[in-house]
This record gives sequence, structure tokens and C-alpha cells, in this order.
Amino acid sequence: MRRREWLTGFSVVSLASLLGCRGYQYGHIVKPQSENLVGSHKGGAEVFDPLVDEAVAKLLARQHQGDCPVGPDGQPIKKSICFVGIENKMVEDIGDFKDQLYEQIDSKILESDAFQSISRRMVDAALFETRLRPDSLFIPDNQALFASVLQRQGIPIDYLLYARLTSGTTVRNSSSQRDYLLTLELTNIHTGFADKQSSEIRKGYHKTAMGKVWNYNPFTR
Amino acid sequence: MKNGVEAFFVRLLRVAVVVIGIAGTLSGCSTHAKRLALPRTLFYEGQLESCREHLDKLQKGNRHDRDVANLDLAVVDLLEGQTQQAETRLKEVRDRFDYLEQESMTEKTVSMWTDDSVRSYAGEDYEKILIRVYLALANLMGGGGDAESYTLQIQEKHEAIMQRLWGDAENASTEEASNHTQSGVPSLKIQPAAATATRYRGLPLGFYMRGMLREETHQHYDDALRSYTRASELLPDCMPLRWDISRVQSSVHSQPGCGVIYVFAMVGRGPYKVETVERPTSDALLIADRIVSAVGPYQLPPTIAPIKVPDVVIPPSDINTVGVRVDGQLIGPTASLADIEELAVSTFRADRNRIVARAVARRVIKKATVAAAKQGMSSDGLTSLGMDVAGIAWEATESADTRCWGLLPRDIQVLRVETQSGIRSVQLSPCLSGIPVGPSRKIDIPVTDGRNTYVICWFPDARSPGQVLCSQGIVAPANAR
Repeated sequence: MRRREWLTGFSVVSLASLLGCRGYQYGHIVKPQSENLVGSHKGGAEVFDPLVDEAVAKLLARQHQGDCPVGPDGQPIKKSICFVGIENKMVEDIGDFKDQLYEQIDSKILESDAFQSISRRMVDAALFETRLRPDSLFIPDNQALFASVLQRQGIPIDYLLYARLTSGTTVRNSSSQRDYLLTLELTNIHTGFADKQSSEIRKGYHKTAMGKVWNYNPFTR
Repeated sequence: MKNGVEAFFVRLLRVAVVVIGIAGTLSGCSTHAKRLALPRTLFYEGQLESCREHLDKLQKGNRHDRDVANLDLAVVDLLEGQTQQAETRLKEVRDRFDYLEQESMTEKTVSMWTDDSVRSYAGEDYEKILIRVYLALANLMGGGGDAESYTLQIQEKHEAIMQRLWGDAENASTEEASNHTQSGVPSLKIQPAAATATRYRGLPLGFYMRGMLREETHQHYDDALRSYTRASELLPDCMPLRWDISRVQSSVHSQPGCGVIYVFAMVGRGPYKVETVERPTSDALLIADRIVSAVGPYQLPPTIAPIKVPDVVIPPSDINTVGVRVDGQLIGPTASLADIEELAVSTFRADRNRIVARAVARRVIKKATVAAAKQGMSSDGLTSLGMDVAGIAWEATESADTRCWGLLPRDIQVLRVETQSGIRSVQLSPCLSGIPVGPSRKIDIPVTDGRNTYVICWFPDARSPGQVLCSQGIVAPANAR
């Protein structure tokens, strides 16, 4: 009897010890065709990647439809875009996503046939030299000063591009819906006219697994 | 056959009691607080080399002290200008503490037979944030390539801790705060109703450093505003933070031809843990075991050895700020952005009941083991007395877990000075209520146009020699004046 009690006790302790051992962390490569993780508390790649893809593609396509000047060699002259930066006006911190979004937008501009992007380092250097805030570049005098610094280095600019992330939150009891909006504003510094393109993604956050089913079915509305 | 098996298990139980007793004796020889006493003294006397030797021995000699000794060594490395070495040590401990956040049932079980010091030390919440703060500081001193990543890690860790401590209420309050941020008005966080005032609420310094680095880009003023606002929510009365918020809302990092000096002052001697006797609980347990022994079937060993628990000690301080002069002109005192004393005390208070409960549970298990051994052996009066004595000795071997990051300052304070670029003379004086009370340190530092220059100084008290270190790879001459 006592042996059985001992053996039972020993087994329970051993099992508990094994179950309570510390584990290691593992990683794996996510295949390109695999879907992104969907963030449980904040927006991540599942929100920002499609926002960038849609907004940049639509903006560049619309700009591409206009007249494109042709050079002496018959090749189209690319317009230069100075991508000033991204402003995060959302309720969420985007942490390390900000620089990545900049690079994504910049790369997509470079892929375009009609536009060329000015190096980020040159933009940073010009902002540093003029001590201008990025949001103050839309004041004509500041714009002229900024453009003159870049032109002095042999880099003429045609457009200023400014990106802004905003969000809007709707709360319904323990669930909420957040609408993420990326707005790209392209200003022609020669004419002063601006073009604007936005893209939006809506995302629901729920405290329970059934929150999505409960809040987003046609019968509860 | 049955008797033979029973005899075997009785022998096994007896051996187990003896082995556990010996293990307990060995584990409970000394506390970390006692082992750290000498290195601490040497550190505050400015004998960094001797301090390093003792900490090295502690790190190599005691497996359970390895991580905290490594943290202390990182502080010594940083003040000696060995920033890369400090960064390596801090990264090692950061990763280990992250790993140790998982509970080990084995360690928990063993600690019930010995004491809490056999458990791996996973660090207090504020220590985990401070490791990342020190990583950022060490990196800034050595060039700053990874400093921004470390500040992101500070933010990430802060959010993870808040999520664990406060749940979604924290997120809601953060969002509430951020909504106010949009309008540029800093707001106080709304805390959940059930919250106790003792729980860790966050370290403003981490957010401040993120804002400081984002502002230096001359571009990401929105990020800087967000970070300064988060810091200001944690320290609503801090006036310099309001100035920072105002600056990033409408002005720029620095005017043309000017750079910025950030003075990080480590002020005062930091908190540490010592072993104390939990007298009321010990007395209550003694009465309880006497009652059980009198009316129950078992004779339990009496609680003669008191229950030992850790307590946080704050050494008295004769300074509370550092006065800064640049080129002879008084700039002002540094402002507190990490009150480590308050953090250590509140964190300990929040955890104290759990520590005492664990100590009581340990005693109950030990008494039950001795009672079971006595019953199994059907011991007579003399043997029973002998086992009671062994039980008391076993209980007396317990010691409190006093491990902590022992070479932290009492307070980390910051001052921002915008000044003309070029070589600037900076004078740092330990002050009490704004009045200099100790010898000043004067250093010449190069200030670059539009960039930050960082100075770290350490003033443990008015008498001890301060340590000064400046970024851009220059260890300041640190002349005492």
C-alpha cells in the first residue's frame, strides 16, 4: 500500500517537473505565398503591406497618365520625387514599422518608369542643413529653401511626397473596429498643385474567439 | 516480503531527510547580500579594479549569482569606458532573463525542500527595463549604432510587462492617452479600478531615450512627441518633459550651429536586498505547530529557527541632484526620470506576501517530511528527539533570496543642454536641494552641430569620487575641482 502511494507520488512529481521545464524558442522562414500573421492587439504587416501596395500603385498610375516629357534621346524624362517622410497620427505606436514603410514606398517609386526617388540620405542631409521640420516644407518659403539646398548638390526636385497614417476606432462593448488609413500627398513644387491618394483597411479586435462571429454577421445588425 | 519493501522505503526516507538536510545546509550558507557587501563598498570608494576582481570571483564561483554579478560587472565596465564589454554582458543577461520568465516546476519543487535561493533569478520587472536602458546607454557611449533598436526593445518590454500586470486595461488607457496626444495635450493614464498602488507602472526613462533619439533625426518629431508624452504621463510633474513636448511640437532639435548635450546622472547609492526575520509569522507558526503536536497524531519539530525573508534597504543619501554648468554658465539641476528607489520598494511590497507565503509553505512541507519519517520509523523518544533536532537544523539552513542588481544608483536623472558646437567645458557638481555639497568634476567635450553628445556621470554621495564618461569614444579626463 505504502509502495503504491510512494510510486504514485513520485510519478506525479516527476510528471509535474517534466511539464514545468523551461522550453526554448524556435524560428522558421515564412514562405512568400504564406499569409501574414494577424496582430491581436495592433496593426502589423497584414495591415501596412496592402495599404502601401494599393496607395502607391494608384497614385503612380494616375500620375503616369499625364503627359510625360521626352528627352533628346527619345527616352521619357523621369520626374524626381522627394519623399519627405511618414507621419504617424494613429492611436497605435508602429515601432520598427516606420522605417520599413518608408523603404517600401521608396522602393515602389523607384520601380516606376516615370519617377525617380531622391536618396533618403540626401533628404536627411537637406533637412539637417536647413533645420526645417518635415511638416513645415509645405510653406512656400521653406519649400524654396529646401529645394535650393538639394539643387545646389545637383538634385532638382519636381514633387514632394508626404505620407500620413491615421486611424479611427469604433468600440462596441468588448469588441472594437479600427480603420487604418494611409494617405499619400504628392505636391508639384513647380505648380503648387497637389494630388492625394488614400487606402484603407478595417480590422476588428475582440476579447473572445466568438467576437468576430457575433459582431460581423448579418443577423446582429 | 512486504516487511522488506517497507524497510527499504523507510531507509530511503531516512536517507532523503539526511541528503536534503545536507543540501539545505550547503545552499543556505550565505546570502547574496553578504557576498556583495565588499564589492559594493569598493565600488563606492572608486576602486573599480578591486571591485571587478571580487565580482568576477562571485560570477564564476556561484552559479546562482552569475546573472546579477554580470549586471554589476556591466556597470563597472560602463564606468571604466569598456562599453562593448558592458553591452555584451547586458545582452547575455537580457536573453537569460527572457528565458527565465518561463516557470520551472523542478526549481519550484526543489526550492520547497531548500530555499528560494536555489531558484534561478529572473529579475524584477524594473530591472528588465533598466537592462535595456543601460544597453542603449552603453551603445550610445560607443557610437550608437544599435541604440535605437534598444529603445524599441524598451518599449516592447514595457508593453509586455504592462500587458501581464494590467491586462487590456493598460492598452485601453494607453489608447486613451494617445488620443489626447493627437491633440497635443498630455493626459494621465486611467488605471483599472482593482489596481493596487504598488504595482510597477513603467519607467519614463526608456520613453525619454526613444524620444531623444527620434528627435535627433531632425525628421521624426511625431515619434519624439509620442515618446515624450508617454514619459510625461508617467511623470506628470516633470517640467523638463513639458519643455521637450513643447519643443518637438513646434520647434526643431537645435538651431543651426548648435548641438545638444545630454547629461545622464546616476545619483545616490541604490537599493539592495538584505535578509530579515519575519518574526510575527515565525511566532504564529510556532504556536500552530505546538497545537498540532498537542492534539494531533504527529509530533512536529518546533519552529525555533525563524522564517527569513528579504527586505529592501535604501542607503541614506546626502545628494539629490547634479548641478550642470557649461562654459561656466549655470544651466540647472538634472531632473529625475527613473526613481529606482521607489520602483524597488513598490515592486518588493507587491511581491512580499507571496514570498512569505512560500516560506510558510516550505516550513509546512519540511515539518510534514520529518513527521512522516518519524512515523515510518516508529521512532522512540530519543530517536524522535534526534529527528526533531535534525528538522530544526534543516529549517535553520534556509536563507532569504537577496539577489538583485546591486550597483544601480538610487535615481537616474537627465539634463538637456542646447549649446554652440565646438569644444565645451562641462562642470558637474553633486548637489543637495540645489546647493553643491561635494567636489565637482570638469570635462571638455566636443559638441557637434545638430547632433547629440552624451555624458554619463555617477555621484553615489557627496564624499565618493564621481565617475564621468562622455560619448564619441572619449573617456573624459575627469579632473576634480
